[in-house]
Amino acid sequence: MSQDNSNTDGIATANDTAAGSQSSRRDRPLVGDDVVLSYSGTDEPVIDGESITAEPGAVTALVGPNGSGKSTLLKGLANQLRPEAGSVLLDGQDIQTLDTKAIARKLGLLSQESTSPNSITVEDLVYHGRYPHRGFFDSVTEEDEAAVERAIDLAGCGHLRDREVGSLSGGQKQLAWIAMVLAQDTDVLLLDEPTTFLDLHHQLEVMEIIETLRDESDITIVVVLHDIEQAARLADRMVALKDGEIQARGQPEDVVTERLLADVFEIEAEVSVTPHGPRINPIRARHDGDEHAADDDSTGAERAEEVVAE
Amino acid sequence: MANETRGATDVLSRARTWLGTFDGSLIGLCVASVAVAFVAGLLQVSFGAYSMTILEAWQAVFDPKVLFSVRAWQSFFFGTELPELPKRTLIVWNIRMPRVIVAVLAGMCLAVSGAIFQAVTRNELASPFVLGVSSGAGLTVLLTLVLFSSLAPFLPLFAAVGGSIAFLLVYMIAWKGGTSPVRLVLAGVIVNMVFTSLQRGLFFFADDLGVVQSALAWITGSLTGVGWEEFRIAVIPTLVATLLALAGARQLNLLLLGEETASSLGMSVERVRFMLSAVAILAASTAISVAGIIGFFGLVVPHIVRLIVGSDYRRLLIGCVFVGPALMVVADVGARLALSPAQVPVGVVTGVVGGPYFLYLMRRQEQMGEI
Repeated sequence: MSQDNSNTDGIATANDTAAGSQSSRRDRPLVGDDVVLSYSGTDEPVIDGESITAEPGAVTALVGPNGSGKSTLLKGLANQLRPEAGSVLLDGQDIQTLDTKAIARKLGLLSQESTSPNSITVEDLVYHGRYPHRGFFDSVTEEDEAAVERAIDLAGCGHLRDREVGSLSGGQKQLAWIAMVLAQDTDVLLLDEPTTFLDLHHQLEVMEIIETLRDESDITIVVVLHDIEQAARLADRMVALKDGEIQARGQPEDVVTERLLADVFEIEAEVSVTPHGPRINPIRARHDGDEHAADDDSTGAERAEEVVAE
Repeated sequence: MANETRGATDVLSRARTWLGTFDGSLIGLCVASVAVAFVAGLLQVSFGAYSMTILEAWQAVFDPKVLFSVRAWQSFFFGTELPELPKRTLIVWNIRMPRVIVAVLAGMCLAVSGAIFQAVTRNELASPFVLGVSSGAGLTVLLTLVLFSSLAPFLPLFAAVGGSIAFLLVYMIAWKGGTSPVRLVLAGVIVNMVFTSLQRGLFFFADDLGVVQSALAWITGSLTGVGWEEFRIAVIPTLVATLLALAGARQLNLLLLGEETASSLGMSVERVRFMLSAVAILAASTAISVAGIIGFFGLVVPHIVRLIVGSDYRRLLIGCVFVGPALMVVADVGARLALSPAQVPVGVVTGVVGGPYFLYLMRRQEQMGEI
């Protein structure tokens, strides 16, 4: 018991010094250790040696401007992109050594753009989430049915279950896809921009699902979010990327600062603290050569360290 | 004991899952297909150079001398000698009937093959023909006929080898960190062109006109003159390919969700694609080795079925297994009887009817390409 506590402490203080150390299964569900990620056909790696630890049972949000590599990092963590160097550890085991179905029983991924045939029903789509739990010739078990019911219930798309996916709105589709990854029944869930392109109602609905998952289960969630305010409100921890490098990480109120917004997002903005988390009031876009609002000498990396130190 | 009951409930629940896929539209489609195939088959066995009335044809079809004769069935299935039969029965059972049955097998193979290729490539425009499998198989078949005629019994095998080579070529050309429907079709067109040219070139090496004529029948796709021997060649590969395809229906369904989703759900996408492609190549090669290159069939039939039963591959494949044979028998009736006494290759009929129908589908659907 005491060992457990010390481990938790270790994570809270030595955030993201990454694996290597004795990672007990429960406390290190997903760790990226010094990973280098690149796409075939490009020379420069998108992510060049970054480490990240998903906080167990909590929501970690990856934020950053377009092209900052946050989705790439998520793909690397989900074993959809093989790291050129470094490793990804799932429950303390190198993900490369695991069987693809075994990975999919522990780790679910909702991609940014999901396509499906128009005529598939929501229920059939959700049943696909049970794929990693079924053998080639296995039929549907009671366990599968229960998991699908739970997922549909949690994603709140029970009223849609017999509808064809092609007839749904973008927001409803997203709920159906979320139900599908939930049916996968994994300990770790990775979501790539689940709220982008949705109307406000469905954005909030998706956020509520994530909050419910955090509050009522010990599922570990890593989510890429486009909207930094939304991320600050939702996440327990935030990781900010720019040009493939992690610039800051920590509690939302420590990460979302005027300085970080200037450095990472290249905007001038006012940040005010509210009961719902930091609130951002964007003023204008910053351009190269703009005077820096704060002291201009320190580099981004130093600032990141400052943030972490706080 | 507990194990037994579990096994039993397992079988039951699986049967229920499959039965559940039979909804109204699929049942209707299957019943209609059987009826159409039956009527067309009856027409096919009734008419021809040796004329008999429909009643006489019926009597010949249900002649107990064949139906209850072990020797007759042995001769059909294993190629032993046929017992003595009345002339009408002989014509119906030995000449006209095998043609209908081979048409059923070829239709099933091509429809299933096209359906698999369309899921594997996630491309509505895919078919054994478009992906070069047909022309590759055709080339090796021609090579065998023209240059190594003594190896004719191994035709399906050679056809499969040629089809696989062509398919791999197309895939390699189209591959660029993934494939897209358009690139696959373009690569297929190019490989098709090369292989078709090679086929034409081979004609000049043929010794006599007979070989050229049979080679030509191959290239256009013809069921003229097929007998029980072709049935024996095709029946086992057809059953194997069809059963494997049905067993892989869930994998095919998952492939339709896209590579990313499939692999995040734990599928080894490339391996599954490869194995399912092998099944599709087996099916296409089987059809090609007994009936030649019948164009448009593998493209159009899955489309028709998809329009009626939707894109769930459990239903789609069952639909293809019924609709493919029915349409092939009908097309062959047209090929054999429409311009009687002259016969045209069935590939001409499927091309002439299938092409315009496909164009019509293209006009009607706003988007065509990715499923």
